[in-house]
Amino acid sequence: MAEPNLSEQQTSDAPDDSLHDSQPSVAVDPRSKLLHRLAVLSVCLVWPLIWVGGLVTTYDAGMAVPDWPGTYGYNLLLYPISTWLSGPFDLFIEHGHRLLGAVVGLLAIVMVIAAFRREDRRWVIGLTVTILLAVISQGVLGGVRVLLGDRTFAMIHGCFGPVVFSLCCVAAVVTSRSWWDRRHLPSAVPSQKPIGMSLLAFATVPTLLSYTQLVLGAQLRHVQPLTTPGTFTLIVAIHIVTAFGLWLLTPILFLLVRRCGDLTLSRPAGWLIWFVGAQILLGTGTWIVNYGWPGILEFLPFGEGYLVRSKGFIDSIIVTAHVAVGSLILATSVVIGVQVLRQRFLHQRSLAVLV
Amino acid sequence: MRPTFLPSLIVLAALLLCGCDAPVDHYPPNELYSLVVSTREMVSTQVAADDTTAVVEAWFGTPVQPRWPADQMSGSAAKALVRLDNLERAAGRVYADQDDLHFGLYNEHCVTCHGVSGGGNGPASLLQNPYPRDFRAGVFKWKSTARNARPTRDDLIKILQHGAAGSAMPTFRLIPEQDLEALVDYVIFLSVRGQFERELISGAVQELEYDEARPSDGLSLMSIVGGDEESEALSFARETLDRITDGWARADDAVIQVPPETVADAASIQRGREWFHSPKALCSGCHGQDGDHPLALQTNYDDWTTEFTSRIGITPSDREAVRPFRSAGALRPRIIVPRKLSDGVFRGGDDPQTVYRRLVTGIDGTPMPAVNVSDQPSATGLTSDQIWDIVHYVRSLGESE
Ligand code: HEC
Ligand code: HEC
Repeated sequence: MAEPNLSEQQTSDAPDDSLHDSQPSVAVDPRSKLLHRLAVLSVCLVWPLIWVGGLVTTYDAGMAVPDWPGTYGYNLLLYPISTWLSGPFDLFIEHGHRLLGAVVGLLAIVMVIAAFRREDRRWVIGLTVTILLAVISQGVLGGVRVLLGDRTFAMIHGCFGPVVFSLCCVAAVVTSRSWWDRRHLPSAVPSQKPIGMSLLAFATVPTLLSYTQLVLGAQLRHVQPLTTPGTFTLIVAIHIVTAFGLWLLTPILFLLVRRCGDLTLSRPAGWLIWFVGAQILLGTGTWIVNYGWPGILEFLPFGEGYLVRSKGFIDSIIVTAHVAVGSLILATSVVIGVQVLRQRFLHQRSLAVLV
Repeated sequence: MRPTFLPSLIVLAALLLCGCDAPVDHYPPNELYSLVVSTREMVSTQVAADDTTAVVEAWFGTPVQPRWPADQMSGSAAKALVRLDNLERAAGRVYADQDDLHFGLYNEHCVTCHGVSGGGNGPASLLQNPYPRDFRAGVFKWKSTARNARPTRDDLIKILQHGAAGSAMPTFRLIPEQDLEALVDYVIFLSVRGQFERELISGAVQELEYDEARPSDGLSLMSIVGGDEESEALSFARETLDRITDGWARADDAVIQVPPETVADAASIQRGREWFHSPKALCSGCHGQDGDHPLALQTNYDDWTTEFTSRIGITPSDREAVRPFRSAGALRPRIIVPRKLSDGVFRGGDDPQTVYRRLVTGIDGTPMPAVNVSDQPSATGLTSDQIWDIVHYVRSLGESE
C-alpha cells in the first residue's frame, strides 16, 4: 500500500505547492511526461506478461526450458529466433515469457533513470526504484522456480506478478495529468464531500480482498498432490464467498467515492464493479473447463453431457483470463486506494489553507 | 520494499497453511481398506497394514521411482503388462525436454483428481459427481470386457481419448499418443499395485494369522522384505500377484463378442421401447418412463461406497457411523443416479457395439445390472436381437431431443 509514501509526499510537496498555488495560471507543467509515458508503457507490457505467464502455468510449460537464466545453454537474448518460433508451443510461450520479462526489466531501469533526471518528488523516484527491485525479484523467483522445479516457487512467482503490475499502475497514475490537475483546482476541493478515515479504510478493503483472492486462487491452481479433499473444498468455498463479498462491496465503494465528485476516482470504482462481475463469470468458466459442469448449475439446459478437454485452447484462454483479470482487479483496487488517499490529503491541506 | 510487506505476509501464511512442495516420497497407504477389513473381520489390521506397506514399497517402489516387480511374477504376459520406462515417465516431477517430451505425466494431468496412489481421492475429488475412479480396486466402468473382468489396454486408451462426458473426467485427445500409452501403463501399474495392497492386507489377517501382533517368521510379511526365499508369506504374496496380473493379462480374452447388428429401423426402435419397459429388462425401473425420469433410490450407492458402508453393516447416510471411514480417506457417500437417457449422453461410448456390450454386462461397480441373455425367446431372458432392439431404442432417445 502507498501509506508510507504519504509522509514523504507531504514534506516534499508542501513548499513547491505553495509556489504553484500563488501563480496557478503559469503554464509550466512540472510533471515529467516522459516518465508518465514510460510508466504507461510498463502497464501495457506487464499485463500481457501476466497473460503469457498464466499461459505458461496453464500449459504446464514452466519446465519446458530446464535452465536459467540461459535458454538451453544460449544467452536469453541470443536464443535463435527460428528455433524459438518453430519449436514446440511450450517452449514458445516459456521463452517468450522470459523475453518479455527481460524487456520489462530494461524498461524498469529506464524508468529509474528518467525518474532521477526528470522527477522532483522523492517518493516517486522511490516508487520507480521499488518497481525495478520488484521486477528483478520477480525474475529471480521465476528462475528459482525453474532451477528447483518447485511448484511452491511457481505459486509465489504467480502471486508476486500482480504486485509488480499494481506498482506499475500506481506509477502511471501518479505521473498522470489528472493527478497534477487536481491540485491546481483548490477552489473545487472544499465543496466536495470530505473523505473520512472510514472511507479511507473502506477503500483499502478491495485491495485486501482481491489479493486474498489471488493467493487463494494460486493455492487452487498450484494445488499439491497430498492436499486433502477437505482442504481443497474449503479453499474453493472461501474463494467463492470472498468473490461475492467483494462484488457486493464494489457498488458501495462506487457510491461513496462518487460523492466526492471526482471522475478520476469514481471511474475506476465503476470499472471495478464490471471487472469483479466478469471475474466471477470467468471463475465459473475456469471451474467448468477444469472440473466439469458443477451440480449447482444443473438447472442450465446446456450443461448436460459437458466434456472437459485437457489443454484445449479456448479452455486455457478462459483460465488464463481469470488469472489476468485477477491482477487487473487488484491493480484497480490499489489505484482507487491511492486516489482516495490523495483526495483526502488534498482536502485536508485545502482546509488548512483556508484556516 | 515496504509496500509489498503485507502481500508477502499473506503468501507466507498461505505457505504455512499448505506446506511446501516436498516431493511425494511414498504412496499413501490404503488406510480405508485396512479399516474396512478391520471392521469386517473384527481384528486389528494395524500391523498387517504396516507390513503390507513395506512389502508393497519393496515391490512397486515409490512415486519418485516406481518399480515393476516382474522378478516376482511367473507369467510372461504379466511381466510385459507395462514398460518400466513408461512408468518412470509417468511418475515423478513435472518437466519437459527440448523435444517437448513431457515427464511426470500423471502429476501433470491426473493427480489432482485421482490422487497419488490412484485412490480417486485427489484434492479436487470431493467436489465431483461422480467421484474420480479409485484404481486400487481394479474395477472399471467403461470397458468392453465381461462383468468383473479387467479392462483392456484399448479400453483405457479410449477413455483417455474420449473422456467421460458429463463427469469431470477430461478427454486427453490433445495429448500425444505415446504420452497416453505411458499413462495407461501407469494406470495399470497403480491398479495392480492397489489390488495387491488390498489383497495383502486382507490376506494377512485371513491367511497369515496377523492380528495385534506379527505372526511367526515364515508367515510374517517382513520375511519378504528380509529376503527369505522360502517363507510361506512370500509364496502367498507371489500367488496373489500372479492372480492379479493374470486378470489383466487375460483381459483381451474377456472382451464381449457382439453378434451382427440387426436393422435399426422404426420397427426395431418400437420393439426396443417395449422391451425397455418390460419386466424382463426392467430398464424403466431405474431409468424411468422413456428413460426420461431416472429414479434416485436412497439405497443406491456405487460399489466403491458400499464396500465401506452397507456391505459391512454401516448405513451410508449415517454420518456418525461413516465418520471414521471418512477420516481414513473415504469420500462422502453419495447416491448414484441412473442416467437420464433422453439426454443422449453415453460416458462409455455411444457406438452400437459399445452400447450392446453395456447392456449385456451392465456397468461394473454400479447397480446397473446385466440383462439376461438367452438363445431362444424365453420368459426371463432376452435374445440378442431383442437386445439390439433396446440398443436402437436407447440410442434413438437422445436423437429425438
Ligand atoms: C478433473 C478430474 C479428473 C482428471 C484430471 C482426470 N480424471 Fe480420470 N476420472 C475422473 C472422474 C470423475 C472419473 C469417473 C467417471 C465415471 O465414473 O464415469 C474418472 C475415471 C477415470 C478412469 C476410469 C474409467 C472407467 O472405465 O471406469 C480412468 C482409467 C481414468 N479416469 C484415468 C485418468 C487418467 C490417466 C488421467 C490423467 C491423464 C485422468 N483420469 C485425469 C476425473 C478426472
Ligand atoms: C438398478 C438400476 C438400473 C437398471 C435396472 C438399469 N440401469 Fe442403466 N444405469 C443405471 C445407473 C446407476 C447408471 C449410471 C452409471 C454411471 O454412470 O455410473 C446407468 C447408466 C446407463 C446407461 C449409460 C451408459 C453410458 O455409457 O453412459 C445406459 C445406456 C443405460 N444405463 C441403459 C440401461 C438399459 C437399456 C437398461 C435395461 C436393460 C438399464 N440401463 C437398466 C442403473 C440402472
